[in-house]
Amino acid sequence: MPISLRTRLQQRAELTQRVRSFFHARGVLEIDTPVLQGGANLDYGVVPFRLCDGKTVRFLPTSPEHALKRLIAAGIGDCWTLAPAFRSGENGQRHAPEFRMLEWYRLGWDDHALADEVIALFAVITGRPPTAERLTWRNAFRLHAHLDPVTASIEDLHRQLGTDAGVVGHDRAAALDLILTRDIEPHLGRGVWTIMTDYPASACAQARIRSDADGMPVAARFEIYGDGIELANGYHELTNAAELKQRHQQELATRSNGEQLDESFHHAMQRGLPDCAGVAVGFDRLVMIALGLQQIADTQAIPWNDA
Amino acid sequence: MGTIVGIGEISKGNKVIFDGAPWLVVEVNFVKPGKGNAFYKTRVQNLLTHNTLEKTIRGGEKVEVADVADVEMQYMYRDANGYAFMDQSTYEQVTVSNAAVGTDKDFLLENMMVNVTLWNNEPIALRLPNTVTMEIDYTEPAIKGDTQSRVMKPAKLKGTGAEVPVPIFCAIGDKIAINTQTREYSGRVK
Repeated sequence: MPISLRTRLQQRAELTQRVRSFFHARGVLEIDTPVLQGGANLDYGVVPFRLCDGKTVRFLPTSPEHALKRLIAAGIGDCWTLAPAFRSGENGQRHAPEFRMLEWYRLGWDDHALADEVIALFAVITGRPPTAERLTWRNAFRLHAHLDPVTASIEDLHRQLGTDAGVVGHDRAAALDLILTRDIEPHLGRGVWTIMTDYPASACAQARIRSDADGMPVAARFEIYGDGIELANGYHELTNAAELKQRHQQELATRSNGEQLDESFHHAMQRGLPDCAGVAVGFDRLVMIALGLQQIADTQAIPWNDA
Repeated sequence: MGTIVGIGEISKGNKVIFDGAPWLVVEVNFVKPGKGNAFYKTRVQNLLTHNTLEKTIRGGEKVEVADVADVEMQYMYRDANGYAFMDQSTYEQVTVSNAAVGTDKDFLLENMMVNVTLWNNEPIALRLPNTVTMEIDYTEPAIKGDTQSRVMKPAKLKGTGAEVPVPIFCAIGDKIAINTQTREYSGRVK
């Protein structure tokens, strides 16, 4: 039987309360971040909304990452926020162009320690046990798609995609993304949470790069899955301001919708980001899982398609 | 040429052109890794052949919207070219080919109102009402009183000559309701 809107909102409010208690007990400071920012988040495959009132251009955050990192560089220490985030064009059963991002940072921690804390929080929110499997990105392809994503040729990827091969052509990154969403993700987070680790260096986003057990450069990045759904994305943060700015400039060069660098963010990074790990959780998706809802719109007070 | 739109603007129930044919979008789902390439996984039905298939389309691709409309029309008569229908609001007459009518002919009675699907103003298919009432023209004698058993017998329908299975208590002259999707008997009409 469908749950009434009021009941769903009550349950969601209860989950928010648990998040607040969790971080309060651990001494992590709650922050209200601004909704309009001076420059764009520049992550591969993520498109921001651009706003203009006739004089000033501002961008809606695709995550509150820039604001929180600026505050950490200013010395506020461990912090968290549950903030509105916006991603243009992402609309579907598990996506909404406007949603809430639960994001937090831990000073002096690495990605492994932070992934454990995410699992602890997920257990508190969903009532499920805090048991997780760790799977490297490379092994996830080996296990569920029976190919090695590092050594596979484009023909190998096409063979795996079958009739979908034509959709991606010779774009290797797109082929791997389609195999990931189509053949791998549905198997992740079944029975236990899945922590996917050691992303390829080419998909480092704002994570630092290190060597894996085989001496391959990998991103210190993880994602966490539950019930086949991607819930969290975390990094041992890159603190090298010059490299970070270069990554953003490279991404900016591929854009054509008037995106601008977030200069205030990069100035703060130049002053120095302390060693830290950070993670972003799609809070609406976590609510979906906790309440057993089938679509993200059912977790929201007023869904995008009704706005 | 239909309007060209981004795949992101397409939703369930829209009609689009793939490989030169019109397709109904039955289902569409957006999939994307957090930081990566977006894809739309769709299930579409060919409006000419009624075949369905799963089709993955990359985010950012454009598709052509098919100029397809359902117009309610009255069935007039059959001739050498096919089946003639009249639009009751414009009195315009269209002929739907035998191939496009297909097995729908079994439940098509003169003066019946049906939806004719037009693609670029050309008729390509019918959409019958979900249930039609037909009269039994011939069937074996009825076995009275047995209204519980699931035993069926063939019955020939008046007007079209089509045969459908009916329960054994049905008799010649009975008016029966038929589900046009499943081609099954669904009850007697008083």
